[in-house]
Amino acid sequence: MASITLDNVGKVYPGGTRAIGDVNIDIADGEFIVLVGPSGCGKSTLLRMVAGLETITEGQIRIGDRVVNDVEPMDRDIAMVFQNYALYPHMSVRQNLAYGLKNRGTSKADIEKRVAEAAEILQIGPFLDRKPRALSGGQRQRVAMGRAIVREPAAFLFDEPLSNLDAKLRVTMRLEIKELQRRLGTTSIYVTHDQLEAMTLADRLVVLSAGKVEQIGTPLEVYRKPASTFVAGFIGSPAMNLIKASSVPHLPGTAHAGMIGIRPEDLTVSADGPIQMKVAAVEELGAQRLVHGHIGGDAATVTMASDATLSDDLNLTYRPGSLHLFHPETGKRID
Amino acid sequence: MVENRPILNILAHLVLILGVAIVALPVWIALVASTHASNDFLGGVVPMWFGDQAWNNYSRMLGTGISTSGMPPVSWMMFNSLIMALGIAIGKIAISITSAFAIVYFRFPFRMLAFWVIFATLMLPVEVRIVPTFQVVANLGMLNTYPGLIIPLIASATATFLFRQVFLSMPDELTEAARIDGAGPMKFFWDILLPLTRTNIAALFVIMFIYGWNQYLWPLLITTGSDMYTVVAGIKRMSTVADTDPQWNYIMATAVLAMLPPLLVVIFMQRLFVKGLVETEK
Ligand SMILES: Nc1ncnc2c1ncn2[C@@H]1O[C@H](COP(=O)(O)OP(=O)(O)O)[C@@H](O)[C@H]1O
Ligand SMILES: [Mg+2]
Repeated sequence: MASITLDNVGKVYPGGTRAIGDVNIDIADGEFIVLVGPSGCGKSTLLRMVAGLETITEGQIRIGDRVVNDVEPMDRDIAMVFQNYALYPHMSVRQNLAYGLKNRGTSKADIEKRVAEAAEILQIGPFLDRKPRALSGGQRQRVAMGRAIVREPAAFLFDEPLSNLDAKLRVTMRLEIKELQRRLGTTSIYVTHDQLEAMTLADRLVVLSAGKVEQIGTPLEVYRKPASTFVAGFIGSPAMNLIKASSVPHLPGTAHAGMIGIRPEDLTVSADGPIQMKVAAVEELGAQRLVHGHIGGDAATVTMASDATLSDDLNLTYRPGSLHLFHPETGKRID
Repeated sequence: MVENRPILNILAHLVLILGVAIVALPVWIALVASTHASNDFLGGVVPMWFGDQAWNNYSRMLGTGISTSGMPPVSWMMFNSLIMALGIAIGKIAISITSAFAIVYFRFPFRMLAFWVIFATLMLPVEVRIVPTFQVVANLGMLNTYPGLIIPLIASATATFLFRQVFLSMPDELTEAARIDGAGPMKFFWDILLPLTRTNIAALFVIMFIYGWNQYLWPLLITTGSDMYTVVAGIKRMSTVADTDPQWNYIMATAVLAMLPPLLVVIFMQRLFVKGLVETEK
C-alpha cells in the first residue's frame, strides 16, 4: 500500500499530440480516486503513465517515496484492470490468476493460497478451471479483478472496467468494487467517463478536460461547488442549466457573473418567478418529469412533480443560495 | 442458387464428375501402372485396370530399388525427402515467427525498412536466385548435405507476413497485461504468443511441408551422390535412363509412394486445424 503523487505531469505523444498538461494530484494511501471526463480528455493516458505503459514526458510520478518515471510496469508494484479484461485466452482462470505471481517467483504453495483467497473473495471458485471464453462478461470482469488482487499490489489501476457490461450488472459490480476496495484498503485510481459511476465510487474525484485538471474534490464538493462551467455541466444528471447572465439581468447579486448555473431540481414553477422559460419538450420519468426548453438563448431543464400543470411559458423561481456564478472570461467559479 | 430442377441437378453433377475425372485420371493411371510388370508397357498402350505385380513392384522399390541404374531404394529417398521437408517446414516457421515478432513488438531503427526488404524478397522465388545460391552453397561445401538442401529454402517472406498480420491482430491490452504481470519479451513470446498462434503454425506447417516435399529443381541441382537423392527428384532421374526404355511400373510405384506423405500430413493435421478452428480463442 502506498500513496501516489503526480507532480507537474505532462504527456506529449511522439506525433506531437499533447494529451496531458501539468497535472498535480496527491493521492493518499488507501484512497479511491476517480479520474472522470469526456472521451478523449486523457484519462487513459494519465492512468497508463502511472502504470508505466506510457512514458512520462514531463514531471514526476512517485509511488510511495519512489520516483517511478523510469521503472518498468512489473516493478512498480501496481495491478491494472482493463476495459476488455485482457485475460489470457489460452489459460484457465487459475492460470490467469497465477501467471503474474509465477513470473515473480512466488512459491507454489503461496500462489495456491492466494488464488484460493481471491477466488473466495470474488466468488469465482467454481470457474477456476474454465477458460475465459466459457465465462460471461461479469465473470470475466471478476477474474480480471482477481488477477489484480492476488498480486497484493500497492495500487489498483482501473481503466473503464465496467463499460463492457450491461447497465444492471454495471450497478452491482460498481458496488462490489467499492466494497472490495474498502475491505482491502488498497490505493486505487479508477478511470471512467460516466459521472454517475464516478460520483458513487470516489473518495475524491479528479475532473479532467482536454488533458487538464478542472477540479479535484470529494463528490459532494464537486457537485455543490463546481469549479468551472465545464465541471458544472459535466457532473450531475440531469445536467446543471448554464444560462448567460444577460438573459436574466434582474437576478440579484449576479452583476459580475458571465454565466449563471442552476440545477434543474433547484427551479420551481411560480407565477411571479423572475425567470421565464419556453417549454419545448417533456420527458416523463414516472416519479417526476423533466421539462426541457429555453431560458433566453440557452437550453434549460426543470424537474417537476408528475402531476404539475404545464403550459408553454413557465415562470420559474429558484431555491435561495442555489445559484452558481461563473466568470465571464475564464468560466471559473465566483464565490 | 436455390433452383431445384432435376435437369439442372444432373447437369451440375455431370460437370462435377467430369472435373473430378480430369483431375483424378493421371493419379489413376499412375496407380494402375504401378501394378503391372514392366513389359506390359512395351506395346505402347497404357493399361487402365490393375495388374498383379503390385506387391512385387512396391517391395522391390522400397527394398532394393533399381540398383542397375544406380538409384538407392525409394525408402531411402523418402527418408531424405522427409528430412528436407521437415527441415524446411520447421525452419521456415521458426525463422518467420521470430522475425515477425521482432518487427511487430520491438521498436528498432529501420524496422519498417527491414519489413519491406523481407516483403520485397517475395518477388524472388528460388528459381530466380538459383545460380548465385548454388555458388554460395558450393563454396560453403554444402553440396550433397542436408543443410545444403534445407537452408537456402527456409527464408519465407510469405510466412513472415502472415505471422505479422496475426500478431498485429492481437489486442494491445493482452501485451500490456503481460507486461504488468512481469513477462519479459521472451516470456511473452513463449507463454502468450506461441500458444495463441498454434493453429496458424499448424496451417503453415502443412503448406510448408508439402512445399518442401515437392521441391524438385534445387535437390536435382545440388545432390550428385545417390545417397542424397530425394524422391521427387529421383523420379525424374529414373525416367531418363540411357539405353533402355524407362521402367514405368517402377517409376509409377515411386510416384505413388511420393504422394503418400503429403497426403498423410494433410489428413493428420486437418484434425488439428478443425480442433483449432472450433475452439477459437481470439
Ligand atoms: N498512442 C497515441 N498516439 C498519439 N495520440 C494518442 C495516443 N493515444 C491517445 N492519444 C490521444 O490522446 C488523447 C487522450 O486519449 P486517451 O487518454 O485515450 O483519452 P480517454 O481515455 O480520456 O478517452 C486523445 O486526443 C487521443 O487521440
Ligand atoms: Mg480511455
